[in-house]
Amino acid sequence: MKKILAIQISALIIVSGSLGGMLVFTGIYEEVHSGIVSVLCLSCLKLDPKTKTDFTFETADGEPHPDFVLENLTKGVVFLHYSEDACPGCDIMYPIIQDLFNITFGKKDTIHEIISFEDSDVAYFYTNVDHTSEEIKNSLPTYDKEHISGLPMFAIITLGYDKGIIRPYYTTIYGTLGLDSDEDRFAFLTELMQDSIDIYNQNSEGYNPS
Amino acid sequence: MKLQLKRLLSQILIFFSANLGAFGFKTGFCYPFFYCNSCPAATSACPLRAIEQSVYQGSLKWRLLLFPILILGFFGVTSGRAICGWACPIGLLQRGTGKIARRLKKYPSIKKLGQHQIEHYLRYMKYFVLIGLVILSTTLLGFMFTDICPIGILTGTIPTLILYPGKFVPSSFFWAAIAIFILFLVLIFTVEQGWCRYFCPIGAILAPFNKISILHVARVDEETFQKECLHCNACSDICPMGIDVPNMNRSTECISCGKCIDVCPKNLIKFERG
Repeated sequence: MKKILAIQISALIIVSGSLGGMLVFTGIYEEVHSGIVSVLCLSCLKLDPKTKTDFTFETADGEPHPDFVLENLTKGVVFLHYSEDACPGCDIMYPIIQDLFNITFGKKDTIHEIISFEDSDVAYFYTNVDHTSEEIKNSLPTYDKEHISGLPMFAIITLGYDKGIIRPYYTTIYGTLGLDSDEDRFAFLTELMQDSIDIYNQNSEGYNPS
Repeated sequence: MKLQLKRLLSQILIFFSANLGAFGFKTGFCYPFFYCNSCPAATSACPLRAIEQSVYQGSLKWRLLLFPILILGFFGVTSGRAICGWACPIGLLQRGTGKIARRLKKYPSIKKLGQHQIEHYLRYMKYFVLIGLVILSTTLLGFMFTDICPIGILTGTIPTLILYPGKFVPSSFFWAAIAIFILFLVLIFTVEQGWCRYFCPIGAILAPFNKISILHVARVDEETFQKECLHCNACSDICPMGIDVPNMNRSTECISCGKCIDVCPKNLIKFERG
């Protein structure tokens, strides 16, 4: 009886102490909140949002477009690629994007490069939300057009003409795009990029980021 | 208030508190039971998702691994698998389906199946699911149990499809998960607490804590028990986990539902502290 009591007390002290210590001295609470509860891995949901490629001027959270997007829009279409560590859907899309832009990088890297896509410049940002800066991470709800909060997510920002002003004009697609094969996904993204670049080229002259 | 009514109230209250995310209340904790964080109303994270994320493709994020284990460990040390019987929404669901399973047990073939010697070994499947499908396959292959999880279909996918009709299409994991979900339904309608008994990986984490938990179900002292027990077997008959209650000593299967306490005509079984 005394032995089991000693085990119980020791176990309770170890478990409560470690749990309390983790909550106080590490960022685990925030890590779980922002990494699992607030942002979904779409493969866990076993669903992909229906792919809608319609472009819009209004940001999803009503906030202005982030500065890094506005600045890079002077160079070309901006492609934001959001991913996370443990996400089978992200793993499916990762090589497709690398092939599309002919670029290689590590899964945990944060990448910002101006790349050439069919002779046009594209500002490509690869963001793993588990490893990226707050500025880029905070842009996720801004471009979460369908209010999914799920990964992987891709935002393509071009320029559009809106009531006499040239403004950022974007669309967002999610998951594995609701398509079954890598070839279909590649072809779909290629076409979407071509459309975005065409729209950009029609409007880029009148763009003023300030 | 009767014990089973208290238990029902506890299960219902915890079910609602697990869904306060519908009102924007989201926390950074892991649930100490099985519930999917992809549920549109979820307040917390699925502990399995946190464990999988911590070991995905050989990476080791020790904080993310320890956090859900410590949360489950805290409840495990204090009350063992009582979480399964008093808090888990899937336990609540099986409380309902268990009534049908109990009726089906009257059919000789189903009763025979339940008494087959393999039944005892099937109970180890939950440890295989935990180690094989949650940890090893995630670490070595990048294949996560939560991608095909039947509880995810029930608490995440189906509510999402109902709340947002036409907004989503099935992903590559959907049909495999649906097939497993159908098997899950067959299981819980044919075997009382079938998921908890055989497959629940969270039950597998909590089960060993029954050996040391502060609160547990126990017999009265040995002398009184031997003298007064009528050997009516009512306790074992009512046990939803199929435990041989008179011979039970801190069984890893016990979910502390208290049905054996209610049914014992001589009050020889009780909740015990210590």
